[in-house]
Amino acid sequence: MHATASNAATAPAHTGASRTSTDSRNDLIFGWVLKACALLVLLSLIGAAGSTLWLGQDAFRTFGWGFLTSAAWDPSNDQYGALVPIMGTVGTAMIALVVAVPISFGIALFLTEIAPQWLRGPVASAIELLAGIPSIIYGMWGLFIFAPFVAEHIKPWLMNNFSAEPPDGQVSWLVQHVPWIAKFFSSEYPFFGAGVLTAGLVLAVMIIPFISSVMREVFQTVPTRLKESAYALGSSTWEVVWDIVVPYTRTAVIGGVFLGLGRALGETMAVAFVLGNTFKFSWSFLETGSSIASTIANQFGEAQGLQRSALMALAFLLFVVTFIVLLIARLMLRRLATKEGN
Amino acid sequence: MTNMNEVASRPGFGASPHASGVDLGQVPAKMTARDVNFYYGDFHALKNIAMDVPEKQVTAIIGPSGCGKSTLLRIFNRIYAIYPNLRATGEIILDGENILDPKYSLNRLRSKVGMVFQKPVPFPMTIFENVAYGIRHHEKLSRSEMENRVEQALRGAALWDEVKDKLKQSALGLSGGQQQRLCIARGIALKPEVLLLDEPTSALDPIATSRIEQLVEELKRDFTIVIVTHNMQQAARCSDMTAFMYMGELIEFDRTEKIFTKPDKKQTEDYITGRFG
Repeated sequence: MHATASNAATAPAHTGASRTSTDSRNDLIFGWVLKACALLVLLSLIGAAGSTLWLGQDAFRTFGWGFLTSAAWDPSNDQYGALVPIMGTVGTAMIALVVAVPISFGIALFLTEIAPQWLRGPVASAIELLAGIPSIIYGMWGLFIFAPFVAEHIKPWLMNNFSAEPPDGQVSWLVQHVPWIAKFFSSEYPFFGAGVLTAGLVLAVMIIPFISSVMREVFQTVPTRLKESAYALGSSTWEVVWDIVVPYTRTAVIGGVFLGLGRALGETMAVAFVLGNTFKFSWSFLETGSSIASTIANQFGEAQGLQRSALMALAFLLFVVTFIVLLIARLMLRRLATKEGN
Repeated sequence: MTNMNEVASRPGFGASPHASGVDLGQVPAKMTARDVNFYYGDFHALKNIAMDVPEKQVTAIIGPSGCGKSTLLRIFNRIYAIYPNLRATGEIILDGENILDPKYSLNRLRSKVGMVFQKPVPFPMTIFENVAYGIRHHEKLSRSEMENRVEQALRGAALWDEVKDKLKQSALGLSGGQQQRLCIARGIALKPEVLLLDEPTSALDPIATSRIEQLVEELKRDFTIVIVTHNMQQAARCSDMTAFMYMGELIEFDRTEKIFTKPDKKQTEDYITGRFG
């Protein structure tokens, strides 16, 4: 403002040059900061995987590949095998998915395609609130309310129909003619509510909010004109959903499903409450079992020496299981993409 | 005895005489709108629309943005019905039946009245499936019959030669103009009687636009066409009849030639000479 005419003429050129150099320096720093943030993710991933592998090496060295296939978990004799926790983890997560995916799908479609406008907001917020409930509360609910319900109503019905030793004494037609089916429905303690099925169902309730809110957001991204075009060809709402909305959002929907699966695989407290924490191998859904996360949570406090190492090795296996699940998801998506000719 | 003259005497239409040397009496009306009013919630978007859409002719609807021309088009196949709070009153007669009657099946209506939208919207499927998709909702065809129908439709939309070797590829890989012709193929594959085009070239480049306009000229042999356009030259080039709408009212409806040379209404003249809109 107070500059003379000649100063005013040179000033812009001068600040222009220095601006260019500060700009490029700032951009350089900015770029490095961002790079560091991204690297942090990679480092923590490698660090977590590496340290569990390192601390678990004793167990891996002692038991070799047998660690994966052995169902023994006996701290008094220092014998450890990961089979039961792995099966428990995968089994409960699968039951959770089988139950949660169709229900979440229904919730999301109802909210985006069918529900009246005034209902959409409140229900969507309710679902998000459900996602925020701490897992310990689901665990308590599972143990004190849901497990007794399973023991009283669901389990007797399943055993009457599908097990070889039904409480009502009449072996069903199905069990007599399909021999392997009873294997999945046996139970050592028929009046005990905890077990793989119970844990899977509690997990399902826990992951429904996650999957359905992802699906809801994804369904909202389908362009109106795409849906209108389908309606204009005479499609019903069901046909628009099935032929247009679902294929258009398939990738993201599967992503949402795997987000839920990831949570189900790693869920600790709720599962620790309702799974029973036993280490006897069984194919049955109705039997108690253990999961990787619940085993670690239950035993880490007192674990020493080889047991501690075995728990670390379990943690590493959880990494591997999660990684394999994600890998399968990727491969599935790639196959679908080539099938559609994209 | 002529439909056009009947329309002329109705309220809301104005007193444009059709005796201006053009014999429209030979052309029967395919669709007739009577006292059509439309509401978006409380907003009264269309006011007492009455018009006859002549059979196997191209009827253009022009007017400034927000005048209700797309709204009117969207009543002809009741596509508005997928949204809550939208309401149409009055009658639209198609082959002697009122399509606004809630008892008139939407599925049937949409097999008779096809629609092509502003932006090309291929479905995320193969080119073949895009065309076959609509047919499957209305007819059960054998594989070879279906292949025939799809070819017929693609030929009808002047797209066959460009896509015949890649029917199994995704439709999303086509250019904008090809996608829009695919949408037209999808529409005519149902063998509709009326084809509604909602600004079908507004998202296309000039070459693709002229191909679509040519196509409209050809399609007129088999279909009754209603086209909404904000491009007055387009209306002048490819329509037989032109309706001018303003603020939810049908101001003037007449032979395209007449609308663009000596319109009866001052508002029409102001619009086509570019004085407003």
